Amino acid sequence: MDLENKVAIVTGAAKPDSIGHAVALGLAHEGADIVVADLYEAGFPEITRAVGAAGRHCHCIRTDVADQSSVEAMVRQAADRFGRLDILVNAAGGSWGITPEDLTAPPRRGFVGLTNCSLDDWRTILAVNLEGAFYCARAVAPYLRESRGGAIVNFASVVARRGVAPGSEGSSGPYAVAKAGIIALTKQLALELGAYGTRVNCVAPGVVMSGRARRLMAALGEERGPEGAISTIPIGRAGTVDEIARLVVALCGGETSYMTGVTIDANGASYMA
Amino acid sequence: MRLSGLEGRVAVVTGAASGIGQAVVHRLAREGVRLALVDVYEAGLKQLSQELAGVVAQQFVADLTDPSEVTDLAKRVPDEVGEVSFLINVAGGPVAPSHQDPLPKLPDRAFPIEEIDDLSWARILATNLTTAFLVCRAFVPRMKARRSGRIINFSSIAARRGSDRVGVHYAAAKGGVIGLTKTLALELGPYGITVNAIAPGYINTERIAAGAWGRQAPEQHSALVEAIPLGRLGRPDDIAGIIALLCSDAGGYISGATIDINGGLYFGP
Repeated sequence: MDLENKVAIVTGAAKPDSIGHAVALGLAHEGADIVVADLYEAGFPEITRAVGAAGRHCHCIRTDVADQSSVEAMVRQAADRFGRLDILVNAAGGSWGITPEDLTAPPRRGFVGLTNCSLDDWRTILAVNLEGAFYCARAVAPYLRESRGGAIVNFASVVARRGVAPGSEGSSGPYAVAKAGIIALTKQLALELGAYGTRVNCVAPGVVMSGRARRLMAALGEERGPEGAISTIPIGRAGTVDEIARLVVALCGGETSYMTGVTIDANGASYMA
Repeated sequence: MRLSGLEGRVAVVTGAASGIGQAVVHRLAREGVRLALVDVYEAGLKQLSQELAGVVAQQFVADLTDPSEVTDLAKRVPDEVGEVSFLINVAGGPVAPSHQDPLPKLPDRAFPIEEIDDLSWARILATNLTTAFLVCRAFVPRMKARRSGRIINFSSIAARRGSDRVGVHYAAAKGGVIGLTKTLALELGPYGITVNAIAPGYINTERIAAGAWGRQAPEQHSALVEAIPLGRLGRPDDIAGIIALLCSDAGGYISGATIDINGGLYFGP
């Protein structure tokens, strides 16, 4: 197995039917021990059981990625528990339902752009999606340097490439900006960590049928999602959690040995950067 | 990692007889893919076939700049190997091979524009861009009919960020491959076919080592390597892994993308 005995931190991995959850399991199946860093404590028993069933250790730590001290405590605890850290997947994020208070909130209705969002929207969304990845990468970097052969995978979004059209719901202007920041964060970290053999890459998904997207579609209908109608995606369908998770796992392993600083668009040809 | 969705399927690999193509063939063979090996370099194909003992692999000698040879290839492969799931267009390079001269030596320097005559412009465009067009055109109808498939074309860092190592003919052809890839992704998406491009950076194949790189001064070489964040030249295997990945279930939602594999030398737009 490609990742035998490596240790991976996956943020945002506790909710079932999320990309982070599938990534954590995929990494475990490749032989990695898993640290789940998430606010959603209700999901901890299930992911622990699933990783255990794959024959690997799972350590869940309640973490608010938007809070630097929470992130640093998580990374310290993870390193104490396993003695090393090799992989970081920054899967925590989203454009709604991302604060400790509203983890299971329904999607907010209406278009949220940059000219009509509240300053609180802006700060919260930037904090979770961009600052969170920054805090995690910074805290983990010393361990990855030791690891020699480590990997970071970040999540951008198709909206980072093309923005959120007025009228569309379920995504937001601040989210597009935060995710564009993630693309630059990926490049910068790739330059800084390349000399240590750590690769830093990013996936920019289009619509992916996670539990979250299903809740969104249930509220909005298939014709009103953040990317417009599913039928307008050239490949004619949304992506699956499974295919995105497999891609992320591959970005942690040998298939992508000479790739760093790159953002892979996985959007069914809906936007070709 | 364990890749799913590959075993027992058929891949056409063009430019199979050397360098990156050869590495792609070995990687896919390891995953249980059945192979149509295409190249104009017959001796290289024979050698490769000998290395593939126990693998279902059929050799096809063809000059892919010749439309009739491509048409013939697309007729033969389904009969002799099986219905094609993966079309991997590796064939190309900064020189134009032919039946008469199937493995020309690579240039030992870049060509300034005023040295590129009409014939070499036409031949490099034909070798790198027209081949991809012809091969896609010939194989697409059956893929459409089966409503599935993965097409992977080869661009280059020369098209992505420009390069002082080849010449405008090669860079322009490889840029054309990106346009071809995006438009074909739109066209074939409704048929469940993904189309992507790979843009390798500096990959140290045997032929390249024997060409310009073999002749450059050690300090030139170390300057090149130092400019690469991962601190090394690429290996053909570094490209083969991504090809396998794109053909596998992990690649299902990636289409129209150009994937830069260059050790961090260029990150994409």
